[in-house]
Amino acid sequence: MSRSDAGEPQETIPAQPALESTSPLEWVIAAIGGLLVVAAIAYMVVFAVAEPERPPAVTLSVTSVTTTPGGYLVSFRVANAGGATAAALQVSGELREGGAVVETSAVTIDYLPQQSEREGGLVFTRDPEDLTLSLRVEGYSEP
Amino acid sequence: MSTAIASPRAFKADAAFLRGLGRAFAGALIFALPMLMTMEMWQLGFYMDPLRLALLLALTVPTLVGLSRFGGLRPTARLRDDVADALVVLLVAALAAAVTLYIFGILTPGMSAREIIGKIVLQTVPGSFGAMLARSQLGGEPEGEREKDPPTYWGELFLMGAGALFLSFNMAPTEEMVLIAYKMSAWQSAALALVSLGLMHAFVYTLNFRGGSARPDHIPAWSLFARFTLVGYAIVLGVSLFSLWVFGRTDGDSLKEILSASIVLGFPGAIGAASARLLL
Repeated sequence: MSRSDAGEPQETIPAQPALESTSPLEWVIAAIGGLLVVAAIAYMVVFAVAEPERPPAVTLSVTSVTTTPGGYLVSFRVANAGGATAAALQVSGELREGGAVVETSAVTIDYLPQQSEREGGLVFTRDPEDLTLSLRVEGYSEP
Repeated sequence: MSTAIASPRAFKADAAFLRGLGRAFAGALIFALPMLMTMEMWQLGFYMDPLRLALLLALTVPTLVGLSRFGGLRPTARLRDDVADALVVLLVAALAAAVTLYIFGILTPGMSAREIIGKIVLQTVPGSFGAMLARSQLGGEPEGEREKDPPTYWGELFLMGAGALFLSFNMAPTEEMVLIAYKMSAWQSAALALVSLGLMHAFVYTLNFRGGSARPDHIPAWSLFARFTLVGYAIVLGVSLFSLWVFGRTDGDSLKEILSASIVLGFPGAIGAASARLLL
């Protein structure tokens, strides 16, 4: 087909599929992609080399106590400052009245990766305000 | 193309390139969605060995370059164009993974950089395969036009490996591979290996799928079986073993369990390898 409109670009592409070469725009995007790949690989290698093998180091803090229709909800946050992921992390809490345990509650956090935080909650039927509340991490397994 | 060529043509090339990007994005989603929605893949993102993850990403680049030779986004003239395509596809796949994972709420504040980067990088690998294959699977061009030179023997073997990876990557991270291996007796493992071999040979030489190879009359069947099916299955087992190792599924297991899990994963791998010419 031959068109000679001024507005149309002259098509010189042969009938056989052209072996396209790379446009400047594509090179720019390819460069960003390449940079990202190199950066990601470098990050992982540096992370592996720089981080010594350390076990999970989990800290636990109570963030709030709220009253819900199902009971008193003690929300907490666990943070892992260690160098490995803790799986099936057991968190338990107890309410004491004058030294005697009156209520316990427990929950499992599926995964707590290294250098990360997760949140959870324990539910009690008695008001923790009136009693002594203590939460602790009981254990975990390696993923 | 030199930059001195008239701008309308360059504009047209850019428009085609942007359309290619959109297609690559679609391909990344189509292939990676099952994995983007798999819990094990999120978890592996943060607990798998960072060195293995780095190795996986590093090996993905040459694999994509190879795929680009045989299919890819466009007919390419030179190797450096294939490299450009591979890098573009990786960027598109990373973007698709990041956006999807964020929308799913898998990436949240309070996660470490290691966790977020790990999750995205792991999903980028299957996404980039999908994006690279977007053209051959979703492309608008008629079949005949994009046909390149038939691959050499080594190219054929590469395609089988890529096909195995393409199909088995979906399943390698799941617990089920190891679980199935535990449930199978040694006899069942051996039988599965034989079934895989038989299916591979049948897929390529008997069922005559599009892209399959008709058996040339002058080559005896045993020769084809030895040179393609047997060698191909060995590659499939290698790919399976590598995938399982990368995901830490072989750590601490006995040789028997490792071999058995490789055969289990090699089953989808064999189907992928046999239909590589169909898929890729």
